[in-house]
Formats: sequence, C-alpha cells, structure tokens
Amino acid sequence: MSVAPAVAPGGAPALDLLEVDDVTCTFGGVVAVNAVSFRVPRGELFGLIGPNGAGKTTLFNIVTGLTAPSAGHLRYQDEDITGLPPHRIASRGIARTFQNVRLFGELSALENVMIARHVRTRSGLVSGVLGMGSARREEQATRERAAALLALVGLADRPEERARNFSYGDQRRLEIARALALEPELLLLDEPAAGMNPGEKRALSDLIRSVRSRLGLTILLIEHHVPLVMDLCDRIAVLNFGQLIALGPPAEVRKSPAVIEAYLGDEA
Amino acid sequence: MATFLATYDFLLVSMVLAAVLALTLYLPLMAGQLSVASPGFYALGGYIAAILSTKVFHPGPGLYPIQLVLVEMVAAAVVSGILGLVVGLPALRLRGIFLALATIAFVQILGVVALNLQVTGGAIGIFGIPQPFSNQLSYMWVALPLLLLSMLFVARLERSRTGRALVALREDELAAAAMGVSPTYYKVLAFTTSAVLAGMVGAVSAHFINTWNSRQGTFDTSVNLMAFVLVGGSRTFVGPVVGGLVLTALPEALRGIADVGGLPGWLAQFLRDGRLIIFGVLIALGTVFFPQGLITPGLLRHLGRRRRVPHS
Repeated sequence: MSVAPAVAPGGAPALDLLEVDDVTCTFGGVVAVNAVSFRVPRGELFGLIGPNGAGKTTLFNIVTGLTAPSAGHLRYQDEDITGLPPHRIASRGIARTFQNVRLFGELSALENVMIARHVRTRSGLVSGVLGMGSARREEQATRERAAALLALVGLADRPEERARNFSYGDQRRLEIARALALEPELLLLDEPAAGMNPGEKRALSDLIRSVRSRLGLTILLIEHHVPLVMDLCDRIAVLNFGQLIALGPPAEVRKSPAVIEAYLGDEA
Repeated sequence: MATFLATYDFLLVSMVLAAVLALTLYLPLMAGQLSVASPGFYALGGYIAAILSTKVFHPGPGLYPIQLVLVEMVAAAVVSGILGLVVGLPALRLRGIFLALATIAFVQILGVVALNLQVTGGAIGIFGIPQPFSNQLSYMWVALPLLLLSMLFVARLERSRTGRALVALREDELAAAAMGVSPTYYKVLAFTTSAVLAGMVGAVSAHFINTWNSRQGTFDTSVNLMAFVLVGGSRTFVGPVVGGLVLTALPEALRGIADVGGLPGWLAQFLRDGRLIIFGVLIALGTVFFPQGLITPGLLRHLGRRRRVPHS
C-alpha cells in the first residue's frame, strides 16, 4: 500500500522528510506492524490513530530506533536510517516524547531539558571538567536555551523542581520541552494529551500549533482524543491490528467505512 | 595532636586512599553501572609501581625520589586505562547484576594471574618496596592532593555535559538514548576513568603498604568499596568520600570500644574482628532503609540552605 506524496499548503510539491516503506514488525507470533507505508512531507502535522494495540507506539519505536523492524525500510531526509541505534537517529534531528512519560525523575526540570542539548553541544570530558572557555560558554548557552524552552511550555517558574514532583500534565509539557531542546526537524509526540483536563488539552493544542509554526517542525502525533487530532492534523493515518486502513485529511478519514467500523464507530 | 597523628598515621592515610577508591566505584555508578572492578585496577596499579620501583628504576640509597612515584602513577594510570577500555567494551554490554558478577570475575582472574606470574612474585608478592618518605604520615603529601583533585574532578564532572549524559543514563537509559546520548560510549568512558583513578591509588598504596601481593585488591576490597558507596551515598560524590573516610576509621573506633573493657568477651572479640560482617550488615540495612545512602543531594541542599541563612 503506497500513498502518493501529499501537496504542501502552498501548492508546490512537498519534499518528504520521512518515508516509511513497507515496515513490518513481529514479536514472536504477533504482527504488531504489518507492511505499513506512508510518507510525511516537510512541515506536515501527521496524526496516527487507532485502537489500543494497533501498533502506533511500536511504529514510533521503530522510527526512533528503539525497536528494529522485522522488514521494510525507513528513510529520513533521503537517507536510510533503518536499524540505526536510537542516539544516532536522535542526532539526525528526530526527537520524541513517550506514552508513559520517561523523564529523568530525580533531576530538575532544567537539567532534564539541558541533557537533551547533548547532540547540539560539543564539550567533552576534559574540556568540561577543566571548565575551558569554550565549554563554559557552551554551558551558559545550554542553560539559557533550556530556560527559554521551559518558558515556552509554561514551566519557567519551577526550573529547579525535580521532574517527578510535577503534575502529570506538566510532566508531559516538560517532555515536550526536552524533545524540543534537541532542535529536531521531526518531532514525535506519543499521546501528549493523555491525562490532561479539557483546559490543558486546549492549551496543548495551541502549544503544538505554535511550536510547529515557530520552529518549522514536522510533527507525528499519536493521540486518542479524536477531536484534538481532527482539529490539529493535516493528514491522519489509521492503524488497526498493525495495518494501515486509512490515510488522508481528517474529513476524509472520518467518513471512511473501515475507520468507522474499526475505531470511530462508537464516536460517530 | 602530634601524638594523635603519630599514633594513627597509617589509619589516616588509609582513610584518604579509601575515599579515592570509593570514588572509583562511584564513577560508573553515576551512569547507573554497578561495577566492582576497581580493586582489580588497584591491584594492577600496585604491581606496576612495585615492579618499576624494585626492578626497573635503581635509585641510590636513601629516600626513593618522589618524582619516580609520580612516574609510576602515570604508568599505572595509562595501563589501567587501556585495560579498562579493553574490559569495559564487552563487559558494559551487560546490565545490572550481570555486570557486577562479570567485574567480580575480572577481579578474581587478575588475582589468579598475579598469583601465578613470575614478575609479580607469585604467592609471596613483591616486598621491600622503597619508601619516598621517612614516615607514614608524609604519604598525605600524595594521598591528600589525589583525593582533593579527584573530588574536584568528579564535582566538576557532575556539572558538565559529560556528567549530565552519565546521570541521564542512570535515570533512564532508553530515554537518554532517545535524547542522543550514546549509552556505550558514556558507560565505557566512566568505567575507563574509574580504572585510571584506581590504578593511581594502587601505585601510591604499593609504596605506602611496602609489600604488594595477590591479597591486595581482592573481592574483600570490592565489598568494602560497595559499603563505602552504598552507605555513604551514591547520588553525590560527597557520599562515597564520607563513606570511605568513616567506614575505614570504623574498625579502629570499634577496636577502641572493645579495649575499653567491661564488655563480654565475645562482644569485644566481635568488635575487633567482625569488620566484614559489620560491613555486610551495613550494606544490607543501608540498601533497605537508605537506598540513596546517608548523604543525598537533598541533604546537601538542605545543609546549604541552612548555611546561607544563619541565625534566622
């Protein structure tokens, strides 16, 4: 199943940033992701929905290198990234958040974000310990950048608070700040609105929209909250039992009989 | 004061060296890796110093030149670092308790090798290692700067990009990798740095103890070091340093209590000779009741605040 490249809002043919080509992933006898193919053009906000166990998070893990696909290929910026270890994929500009928040719990909010500046900074063991000029300047810049990102997600008032002490919704926003610190071109958000109240969800939508336009990001979004996805995304892919059963703009996907049957049935 | 220093000269230097050794266990632990390989590198460093000073360098009579001790320390650091790299690359693919077991095996293997080689003096070891100082207390001139520099090193490391990468691995290896931190690179870096430092401590200790054999740097040392770090604290470098200082002095203090008299014979005996039992119990109790050790970053922050607002 291959999908023709979408056309960017401007009308010009879009460049694909990410290309998922016939990716399959099996765990023992279970086929978690089954021959899934799609392309995400630069600048798109791409939604990934589907019932629990449909393979959405597995697909995220494959794109970020945490899980190796059993078959198929991934191309990012026209380069094959299949099978690269996670830190190499991250250093190419793919950042993510996790479905079950994975912050560095014992560390402060600021430190959490500073750690993700890793691939954008250079100082090593010796220069860092000796506090050479370049390392000191870099450290200062890292700190300022991290503080700015905390402000961007609305956590500027508690930089020294330990990550595990934040509320669930704040932890999710802190994770977004941490992912943004990597200066990604492609951002993967795994259920960013989970556990948020309606007000927080609205604020999150605004945040996602604003970082996307301000930083020129391409975003892949897994979300269960259908109104949020429909409202936010340019295109939506629907997975069910590891298979891609629909792909297109929200209005189209909403009308697809396969989707209504598999997923939206009770909502429609 | 002078009598105190003269009476406890050996103990005081031992405490300082133990604190440095505790830091060698702390370094891989910063990255979440429980490795007890340091005693192996400590033993190796000791043999390098012992062999160089008794068989290679032939200084004249009188005190052994201190510059040569520094040369030995550098040699021990280089060789330990290389071995650390060679052992660390495969060993650090193991996680948790498997890494601990592999490093215990490494220490055992080095011990057996030392016991059976000609150059290490077999079971007898190497004795009559020349002395750079006329009394034991003077070893402080080497041991104390070594401790202070190591502490400075780790303290600054904790606030650097490299240190943050290590701590990120400890907190959540998967998330750290997804943020671009290479787990293998930083684990091996911490392990190798630890090996370098342990080798240097060994080189100093060989002179200090005067004899070096396969009883130095064994599994017993591993248990001691674990007690230093687990009881002292594993989340800030202050913990292992305090643990090393205090727990090395503890047996002497207990012996002092035993000698006071009036205690039942078995208790006095236990206080004198039960060091490993007491350390074992402390490790067990410590991990249950103080999983982060006695000295935690939170405690240090608290003390820091108290100091900043006195008399309020």
